[in-house]
Amino acid sequence: MNARDWQAVVAGVGGQGVLFVTRVLAAAARAQGRRVLISEVHGMAQRGGAVVSHLKVGRFQGPLVAAGRADLLLALDPGEAVRNLSFLAPGAALVVNAPDLGFLSPQARRALARHKVRAICADASGLAAGAGAAKGANLVLLGAAAAAQALPWGAEALQRALGQDLPPQHKRLNQELFSLGRAAPR
Amino acid sequence: MAKQRRQEILLGNQALGRGLVEAGVQVMTAYPGTPSSEILPAVAAFGRERAHPPYCEWSVNEKVAVEVALAAAYTGQRTACAMKQVGLNVALDPVMSAAYIGVIGGMILISADDPGPHSSQTEQDSRLLAHFAKLPVLDPDSPAMARDLVAPAYRLSERFQIPVMIRPTLRVCHGRQVIGLRAPREVQRPAVFVKDPFRWAAIPKMRLALHQALNAKMARIAAWASASRSLNIWHAPARAKARLGILASGVAAALARDLLAELGLPVEEGAIPFLQTAMPYPLPIEPVRELLSSCGRVLVLEETEPLLELLSPQRDRLWGRGSGHVPSAGELTPDVLGSVLERALREARVRVPRPRGRLLTVPDQPPLRRPNLCPGCSHRAMFFALRRALPGGVYPSDIGCYTLGLNQGAVDTCHDMGAAITFASSLSRVFKRDGQATPVVATIGDSTFYHSGAAGLVNAVYNGAAFVLVILDNETTSMTGMQPTPESGLTADGHPGRPVNLRALVQGCGVEWIEEIDPYDLALTRRTLKKAWRQARGPEGAMAVIIARHACAAQRPAEAVPVKRPVQVAGAAPDVKAVFDGRQHACTDCGRCLAICPAGALTRRRKGLIRVQAAKCTGCRLCAEVCPTHSMVLEPAGACVGCGLCLSWFACPALKADAQGRVQVDRAWCVDCGLCLEVCGHGAIVAQEAGS
Repeated sequence: MNARDWQAVVAGVGGQGVLFVTRVLAAAARAQGRRVLISEVHGMAQRGGAVVSHLKVGRFQGPLVAAGRADLLLALDPGEAVRNLSFLAPGAALVVNAPDLGFLSPQARRALARHKVRAICADASGLAAGAGAAKGANLVLLGAAAAAQALPWGAEALQRALGQDLPPQHKRLNQELFSLGRAAPR
Repeated sequence: MAKQRRQEILLGNQALGRGLVEAGVQVMTAYPGTPSSEILPAVAAFGRERAHPPYCEWSVNEKVAVEVALAAAYTGQRTACAMKQVGLNVALDPVMSAAYIGVIGGMILISADDPGPHSSQTEQDSRLLAHFAKLPVLDPDSPAMARDLVAPAYRLSERFQIPVMIRPTLRVCHGRQVIGLRAPREVQRPAVFVKDPFRWAAIPKMRLALHQALNAKMARIAAWASASRSLNIWHAPARAKARLGILASGVAAALARDLLAELGLPVEEGAIPFLQTAMPYPLPIEPVRELLSSCGRVLVLEETEPLLELLSPQRDRLWGRGSGHVPSAGELTPDVLGSVLERALREARVRVPRPRGRLLTVPDQPPLRRPNLCPGCSHRAMFFALRRALPGGVYPSDIGCYTLGLNQGAVDTCHDMGAAITFASSLSRVFKRDGQATPVVATIGDSTFYHSGAAGLVNAVYNGAAFVLVILDNETTSMTGMQPTPESGLTADGHPGRPVNLRALVQGCGVEWIEEIDPYDLALTRRTLKKAWRQARGPEGAMAVIIARHACAAQRPAEAVPVKRPVQVAGAAPDVKAVFDGRQHACTDCGRCLAICPAGALTRRRKGLIRVQAAKCTGCRLCAEVCPTHSMVLEPAGACVGCGLCLSWFACPALKADAQGRVQVDRAWCVDCGLCLEVCGHGAIVAQEAGS
């Protein structure tokens, strides 16, 4: 998968760390010598509104992912997963912060199956809260995505990217949350 | 240089700041506004790499910012000024003149546009204002191009002695890309002001000559730009004559390239003749003629208005907004562009090797998520107190986080910076002249007040307006990322500034009645609002200003919520309704219950007789709380009755209704500010017992 172009959409709600997790993915791509383009949302939307960021790795020029072209939708909120499903390319991966796909109607689940979407569910919020870091669901979910091989890089590359430019105590906590996600039941 | 170039992933605004520092900017000014806010901090940060860092200032508004940068450019220094597109409207007066008079040192004016709009009042196209003012404008398609255009923009500016606009859109400003950092240039030009009153202070007669010279200058710039390889990115067609060509600029050009590649029509390989111009005005005509001669029809892709379309020759051969091929409003997202391209390719009968496949669509779409004030935000307390204290009022507000008081029904207008005060002065006057006693309460943030509130306040005082003005002072510019305000005295690059005292400024505007409160004290806030309206109402009323001070909960959470008061909702009670019992208690017909009922459930049948419409009554108890004679009767249930008052008037993201409409505290959002303890009329929101 490494040599290919790769596109991802990260969705959630203001305060969940959508931008942070996107930057970690970008740093991992950078470490592999890949070109990256990110589009972020700032300003009013960050005040509790829906936040979505786009990441394009490879020979791209525009910063936004087109509908039907994303290889991954990483959703920190089930509602925001639903809102952004149309980004998914056939056969792409959906990684969502939910214990299961119960948040979708049976019709939607069938549509997902027809589109050959690989759905990976993990209760990242629950696991993060259990670890005493309620705001860390983003990294738990990233760990779950890595363990399910929904990313073009191995977990080790992300583990390294997680520590960049951070004070040691944050780095340790981030890596713990990420490991928690890797071991999460899916 | 032998040293290897450092590479960093930079935000588009940081890339612009990097470009400015690398090109030797000496004076940098800005007023924050999404999506432009990160440019000036990047200049200040990267500037420290230089032996002589640039002077950076957060100006109080965009007009001031342009004038500060302009005067420095008169002395031969390299300057820049950044703002969002609606800020350019504020600055338009000096900008228009700047084109006529020109500069000596290079000056770059960055106006960040927001097609969509995502975080703005309008989706106006700054390129049209550059055209209107007769300033050259550059339209980058990415953070990398934005950085790369800065140095040529300075050369253009200095060669032709004219300010140059760079117009990034939100997707450039808030895109991130790997940028190879170049060594910053040490520009240390002395400030030399050469007296030339016929230029710097030109009288109208001279301005005609300056206008003629400007027109000639623009023609020379267009000719110069026609020969530039970097400003005109041209992909010639592989075949002699194509059916369809594309003329594009900005992010639309970059996205169109990606979309065409995904459709199997890569422009780099000559599948479609494609001209991207980095300078839409003055338009380099020769490359456009070459494009036109290479194809039958030309599809024009640009944001947000048809400037290229307006300036191109042979307009009858263009497909764009004029022909209806491109939507006239909204952002050109990949989805919109995809449809535009598919239609143009179909109509031009160009074969698409890899058409877009079927999309994943699902029926269950979640409701739109509205932005909201942060939990623990003191604005929420102020807006709740406002609706409780002065129900039935009209509440003009302004631009900032507190616009989100909309969610609490406490914001009735939001127009442009400072309009809360001018709107309130006008509304209070027309109501008073019309004999109406409607309370008028304006809310405005501290930074917005410094930006353009004071002039409106002077006008209100001078002309005898009387209303309540609440200045929401959280000591920072929150919405755009916590930039300091003049009150703090902190400056953008750490040069010594002086705090400008807010109360003294309000006093200086001629206001005599000023009270300072902390909105976290809800009872005091309500009393003060009522007192202020008593001061403003009536024929002899005068301006009343409340300065509401509390630290920003996002910037300084520990200071904003120094005492943690965890809350819980006590159980669930059955639905209840208010009852009017006027016989026993002698209703005085004061009308307070009518004014405060959020559901419109109360009507006045006749003097002293209020009717409760049970179908509308939510049982919130507000009428029972405000009734001075206890004629409205509803005992506190001590548990949640599902009235929804806390949701609609307090609108905290931590308070959520369950399927039965009973309110729950969402611990993931709650910051234990305890403000909601005083919201519920039934006493259902209670402090958690220790250990529970």
